[in-house]
Amino acid sequence: MFNYILQLLVDTSFSWARMFIALGLSILLGLGIGIWAATSRRAEKVIIPIVDILQTLPILAFFPFVIYIIVAAIPGYIGINAAVIFLIITSMLWNIIFGVYESVKELPHEFMELAAIYGMGLKEKLSKIYIPASMPKVMGQSTLSWAIGLFYLVTSEIFSTSSKTYMVKHGIGVALTQLALSGNFSEYIVGILIFIVFVILTRLLFFAPLERYFDKHNMSNIQKTRGIHFVHLTKPRLKLKIPKINMPIKFALGKKRDTYSLSNEVGIKPKRRGYANLVYAALAILFVVAIVSNKTLFSYELSILVALLASFARVWFAFAIILLISVPLSVYLIFFSKRLGAYVLLFQIIASIPATIMLPLIVSLFVKMPFHSEAVAFSVYLLSGIWYVIFSILSQKAYIPQSIYEVKKLFGIKGLHAWKKIYIYAIIPGLITGAVTGIAAEWNASIVAEYFTSSGIGNGAVLTSVSIGIGKLLDLSLDNGNMVLMLLALLNFTIMIIVINRLVWKRLFNRIEDIYK
Amino acid sequence: MDLLNVENIGYSIGPVHVIENITFTAMKDEFVSIIGPSGCGKSTLLRIIAGLIKPLHGKVLYNGIKVEKPNRDISFVFQDFALLPWLTNIENVKLGLSLFDISEGEKERKAKLLFKKMGLEGFEKAYPNMLSGGMKQRVGLARAIISDPKVLLMDEPFSSLDELTAEALRTDVINMLRSPDIPVSLVIMVTHNVEEAVELSNKVVILSERPSHIKEIKRIELKYPRNKRSKGFAREVDHIYKVLTE
Repeated sequence: MFNYILQLLVDTSFSWARMFIALGLSILLGLGIGIWAATSRRAEKVIIPIVDILQTLPILAFFPFVIYIIVAAIPGYIGINAAVIFLIITSMLWNIIFGVYESVKELPHEFMELAAIYGMGLKEKLSKIYIPASMPKVMGQSTLSWAIGLFYLVTSEIFSTSSKTYMVKHGIGVALTQLALSGNFSEYIVGILIFIVFVILTRLLFFAPLERYFDKHNMSNIQKTRGIHFVHLTKPRLKLKIPKINMPIKFALGKKRDTYSLSNEVGIKPKRRGYANLVYAALAILFVVAIVSNKTLFSYELSILVALLASFARVWFAFAIILLISVPLSVYLIFFSKRLGAYVLLFQIIASIPATIMLPLIVSLFVKMPFHSEAVAFSVYLLSGIWYVIFSILSQKAYIPQSIYEVKKLFGIKGLHAWKKIYIYAIIPGLITGAVTGIAAEWNASIVAEYFTSSGIGNGAVLTSVSIGIGKLLDLSLDNGNMVLMLLALLNFTIMIIVINRLVWKRLFNRIEDIYK
Repeated sequence: MDLLNVENIGYSIGPVHVIENITFTAMKDEFVSIIGPSGCGKSTLLRIIAGLIKPLHGKVLYNGIKVEKPNRDISFVFQDFALLPWLTNIENVKLGLSLFDISEGEKERKAKLLFKKMGLEGFEKAYPNMLSGGMKQRVGLARAIISDPKVLLMDEPFSSLDELTAEALRTDVINMLRSPDIPVSLVIMVTHNVEEAVELSNKVVILSERPSHIKEIKRIELKYPRNKRSKGFAREVDHIYKVLTE
């Protein structure tokens, strides 16, 4: 009876070991790359746009490709574990880089002058200034990284390609998938409970003490006036009294950088932009010509566009429902609840339970319904995106001055009037940040939401499969080893993300930025 | 007769006693300043009078009736202006009429009139962050008086401004409050600026450091407008400094 519990504990411990190794490496890499990008203008120009694109791509799509390379280079269990850890790092790293980059960029000018006056070398600058200054944000970002990592851990421990299935020997992702598929429902539930206990213990015993320790030096905390302690599960904002949209989002939206790069932009910018536009136009023409002139490519492109459209409808429908839930909930918590801190902690724990381990459960819940694959896809999209939106809005609370609550009370602003004059506007910056990251997370989940097979475990049954969608298309192209289709799909996908960012979010952002400044 | 009675007010944050047994009265046509060292709870006291915070013990009476929540007759000006950055200046001012059942057009008309009176004409459709500090506080003041309150509470209204702007605004405020079409009949202002208190008020409540109690209630009988270089003015300032530091 207790044998399988022990087995599950061992499996979970192995998975957690992979997670900690991946987190440790991500922090080291994040510090290195982030500090480099923040201190060298040349490195900044290359690193930041690349990291920005990497964090919006569905990383899961690249899994088999990576596995081939690593497992070929390092055979045996070491190779597989190295591959899994590598894959988890690809989900954890990007926001840590942005956290470090932001921290170093935000450092007061005087610190650098201080370093110059005392003749600090690189080693001293790193140990005395850059790293200590970055650690509070690194810890904040690590909670987010951990949650994203858990999402991918479960799917990365087993992966199959057209020819072969790889899986780690011990891992909770493997164990849960096997239990669910073999119909061991009670054991599957026990497995999920053990997973949740591990999540809570990690939160309480690992992240909470470290955050408390590093937060003592967090400069942005000095100005905070309210009593609630926020662990940023969303990306943190700059230290401003009035809400401001964070830097990574600004980059994602193609917003011009802060003052330090202004001098560089004067004069050169228009000409360079002209060249860039020319290059884009040339690439676009080349792309269209290539597709139109090649029959196969043309049929690929058509099917990709139809698939994108279908997934787009799913993602945005789920997002609309996310808004309907998270906006009233967040407004209630920010403006009326006295126990916001407790709710945030509870939400953080729930949010750390990845949709991917719930997938077998979700599938079995809907399996008898008509359109059950659509219901599964909707649930996974919803679960993947909703916490980004909620946490992002809630973190806005720290930027709402106390006097706004007093104005509301003093002048008796209530009900619909309060929604129109206060609530909506007060949460908008957090809402935009949450929307961009939440929708990106939804897209990231498309590969598990729309198509999921048990091929890793043996019988290869298709558990859920929508009729058409970009996630399914990517999955199938990988299964069939059709790299051309996959790359073309990823290209279309990336273009779509960039176009939406510019057309929707950037405009919204520009409209409010001057007012909130 | 007494317009406002502050009776035996006490307040603490957790185990820390902030305010201990504060009692004073204020009458019609008075300008009362509350002055004390920083952290002594003056702003908290003002919020208790406004009905924004409940005291630990004691009570505030307005016209003999206990103040337990914000009241139409009592308005408030904030140190940091507290303008909603996402609403235009005129929308911010109209917020002051939220509790009143009057038409949107009437609100607009009243607000426009007030903008004219306060030298804010032309800034109706602009947003607060496009204004200077002095102009922002004028908007804050307009919002506070648009509802024709009887009592105006001001929490360090000039301390976020540079000295020249503050001086100009102080003069304007004094003139405005004395004009017959403004029905404000009592002002209570929190400040840490002794000269400001002497320039504006006819009663100064001097508080001690935490836990704060009243050290002295000083009446100032000098005639308005007050000459800051006169001997009488200097005497009052010196006296308050002495009480504050002893």
